[in-house]
Amino acid sequence: MRRAAARAAGTAAIALVMVPALFPLYWMVISSLKGPQELQTIPPTWWPRSPSLSAFTEVFDAVPFGAAFVNSLLLAGLATASVLVTSVLAGYVFAKCRFRGREALFWGVVATMFLPPVVTLVPLYWMVSSLGLADTYLGVLLPWLANPFGVFLMRQFVADVPDELLDAARIDGAGELRIVWRVVTPLLKPAVVSLAIFSFVFYWNSFIWPLSILQDDAKFPVVLALSQLLSYSTSVQYQNVVMAGALIASLPTIAVFLVAQRVFVASLSRTGVKG
Amino acid sequence: MKTTQVLALGAAVMVVAAGCGGGGTDRPAATKISFLTHWGPDQVKALEAAATAFEKQNPGTTVDIRAVPFGNLLTTLRTQGASPNGPTIAGIYDLWLPELVRDGLAASMPADAAAELAASWPKNLVEGVTKQGAPRGYPNEVDLYALNYNKKLFQQAGIAQPPRTWAELEDAAAKLTGNGTQGFGVITSWPAGAVHPWLSLVTSNGGALIDGTTPKLDDPRTVAATQLYARLIAKGSTKPEMSNANANTTGPYLDNFVNGRTGMIIMANWWQSALKDAMGDRYQDVGVAPVPVGPDGTKSAPVSYSWLTVVNGKADQARQQAAWKFLTYLNGGSSGRNGSSAMGDILTSMGILPSRTGDLEAHKAELSDPFLSVYVRELPNAVPFPSVPGGEAMSQTVQKHLENVIFGKETPEAAMSAAQKEIPGVLQKAGT
Amino acid sequence: MRRSAAVAFLSPAMLVIGLFTVVPIALTFWISLHEWSMYTPLGDMAWRGFGNYADLAADDGFSTALGNTALYVALVVVVTLPLSVALGMLLYFPKAAGKGVARAVLFSTYVVPTVAIAIVWGGLYAPSYGPLSVLFGGATWLSAPGTALVSLVIFHVWQMTGYYTVLVIAGLTQIPGDLYEAARIDGAGFWRQTAHVTLPLLRRTTVFIGLVSIINAIQVFDPVYILTQGGPAESTAVLSFAIQRSAFQHGLAGQASAMAFTLLVLLVALGGVFLAAVRRRS
Repeated sequence: MRRAAARAAGTAAIALVMVPALFPLYWMVISSLKGPQELQTIPPTWWPRSPSLSAFTEVFDAVPFGAAFVNSLLLAGLATASVLVTSVLAGYVFAKCRFRGREALFWGVVATMFLPPVVTLVPLYWMVSSLGLADTYLGVLLPWLANPFGVFLMRQFVADVPDELLDAARIDGAGELRIVWRVVTPLLKPAVVSLAIFSFVFYWNSFIWPLSILQDDAKFPVVLALSQLLSYSTSVQYQNVVMAGALIASLPTIAVFLVAQRVFVASLSRTGVKG
Repeated sequence: MKTTQVLALGAAVMVVAAGCGGGGTDRPAATKISFLTHWGPDQVKALEAAATAFEKQNPGTTVDIRAVPFGNLLTTLRTQGASPNGPTIAGIYDLWLPELVRDGLAASMPADAAAELAASWPKNLVEGVTKQGAPRGYPNEVDLYALNYNKKLFQQAGIAQPPRTWAELEDAAAKLTGNGTQGFGVITSWPAGAVHPWLSLVTSNGGALIDGTTPKLDDPRTVAATQLYARLIAKGSTKPEMSNANANTTGPYLDNFVNGRTGMIIMANWWQSALKDAMGDRYQDVGVAPVPVGPDGTKSAPVSYSWLTVVNGKADQARQQAAWKFLTYLNGGSSGRNGSSAMGDILTSMGILPSRTGDLEAHKAELSDPFLSVYVRELPNAVPFPSVPGGEAMSQTVQKHLENVIFGKETPEAAMSAAQKEIPGVLQKAGT
Repeated sequence: MRRSAAVAFLSPAMLVIGLFTVVPIALTFWISLHEWSMYTPLGDMAWRGFGNYADLAADDGFSTALGNTALYVALVVVVTLPLSVALGMLLYFPKAAGKGVARAVLFSTYVVPTVAIAIVWGGLYAPSYGPLSVLFGGATWLSAPGTALVSLVIFHVWQMTGYYTVLVIAGLTQIPGDLYEAARIDGAGFWRQTAHVTLPLLRRTTVFIGLVSIINAIQVFDPVYILTQGGPAESTAVLSFAIQRSAFQHGLAGQASAMAFTLLVLLVALGGVFLAAVRRRS
């Protein structure tokens, strides 16, 4: 009986927390179903008077949304893959390898995170475009191939891996790359997955950098394509379309998250078995 | 990964760095020019159609249209303007022109284009785009301010006609106020939205923002407009919390007017399309009248500003020539319908006033629409917003002090004298 | 571990971060010593020495932005950190229905592009008629200088807490279950388990989240840019917005870079203090 009551209390607490989290999302969904006039109405309607899905098709006509979607998948996917590799490798070295200047170098990397990216936009644009990479995917991707946040996150988690495990693997004759791949990474699954999700969302939603470096709108990622609809003379006309586009644009990351959740659950049961 | 692979990767980066430093020197077979604009998708499509027509007549030239959101236009110009891959043509706000000319980014017009400009545009606009002795581009969009009011609310309050003077404005505002409605709306959190309507009241009171490079904010005729704001707020006829705008130029200020919660507001003609989109049938309640005249003014004198297309002075000669050729075509009488330029057609499709004399003529029917016609009639009285280097920074300084008055943080007199003191330094930084 | 392997593992990340983050920061410092509109090539800047820094000291706009940023960061961290730990525990420990769904919902708040969700929040916050104004008795939210910054903090917390909660859950999975078993055998209740097992073992994660939430709060730009443009009456003009406005709107890249570099120096100093404090405790 007490178990059931506790379970009910837990469920109720979670439900309570969900209300403020869901409400703005709910508002976004109904905004995508309203027309431009209803969106501007005072007081706002809490449910669309005549819900319409037309914004979801209009977004494909108003901007090259399908192509933008593919561009975003490509850019965010490649950046995420690269960030995972570079971060795990660097995090491993920072956590498990002693060398002179390690702390200084590591905290130097961490310090670079503090500066708002808008600050270095101009020098960065200048550098990448003088490499001849303006208006190319490679130009967008180059600064995205590694990320101080990823290095920091991975070091924090690799530090928790017991040295004995690594030493045992070394005695078995495993190379360092094999240790990282076979011993460290599996233990860090939740952290690696968190980083993958973080990177994917971060690059998927990036705006200022792609806007600065890309010129041809056929290369634009989703967020850039949507923002084109918010020009001053059209922002009323297309507000529902932007909402619809943003909802579609959120689906891949939510899908990635749903898949990733299984990893959490799996690792949860693993620690349970071990305990 | 092995050390060698890492080294190879590093080497590859270096090679790229070394090899591509001088990109863009090899001469392309076709001249490729690009046109940077902040227009929405429909107008971009129309512009692309004009570009295609031009390409057919001029084989060997391709015109690429690039659209960015309004808020990112200046950012894009700053990051890309000076680079060899930067836009060849850009549609710009006239306030930005002095700095672009100073830094060599707005080329002077070739003789034939300049002659076309002199022949087909009103003289005051040609003067507006002439900097350092040379015209810098074709003006296109013109915007000016007028009083927009809600006829239905006027009727309910028993007000027969829109106010012509400040006294009538205060009187009408007081009558319209009540029941969640404000009589007169102001705009905040947006430099032009805050400053232009206020300045339209100043200029309609015989005042000015600056004279040459001397600020005129402590002039009694300028202070009077700020005091008018303070009085309206004190009486509750203007509600500061209804004034917000956001980066997309929508927000509470627009919602409140659209929904009959703001009786009057001073706004520019371009927002007609926003009103139509947002109001539907209720759009017929919108009335337009000249900006009310102040006690020291003789006539309504609304602020105006314009947009123009400039050619990047950093582009190579072939591109610059092709760019002027395209602009002359786009702004010429043969590219549009009924003697209008293609540019004129695009602008009027947005409810925006074109500036070329022939375009105004060709679009007479659209421009006689009750909303636009008041603006068209006021055009000769318009006072261009001063375009000096540092103009954007100056606007923001004025905005800051105006908002301090609106939100009760400064008295009108203190705000204006503070702005008067700050502006010389602001202008000096930009080299005025 | 062999030296060559260490170098090979470290190089890719260091190369990219060095080239595309450190070099631009160095260039930012170089620019801060000049006057530059960004319309001219980097080589043509006019030398100003430390003039831009001297100007900042006299500029009350800079101190306003610094104050706004400090307040924003403090509020964000004070709310986010306990909230995400509590939510993480709520979505990890209890046997309850819908935990998976709840995690996905929390996380979706982080996923939706800011360009769109900021507009939604603008509507929710609309004065007098917006849902949040109706629910909270006519609160002014973004429309008054006294409440605008706090409103942006609430939006930030809403947007970011889901992600931090996921990090907390990831951290919780690393805590061996037998520790709780042992604590239970010792008769420890929920609060003592939290105080003596969960929080100490989660420390690395919480330090990390603390740091990252500070960074994210300092860098806040999009919501300010989209919703308030620093207003009303400069009440939400945080540093990243002031830097962007100065550089891109006003064409004063030298001054903007001086602001940025001053921020970096201040942060490194504060970070040093923070780090020393953390070290001493451990």
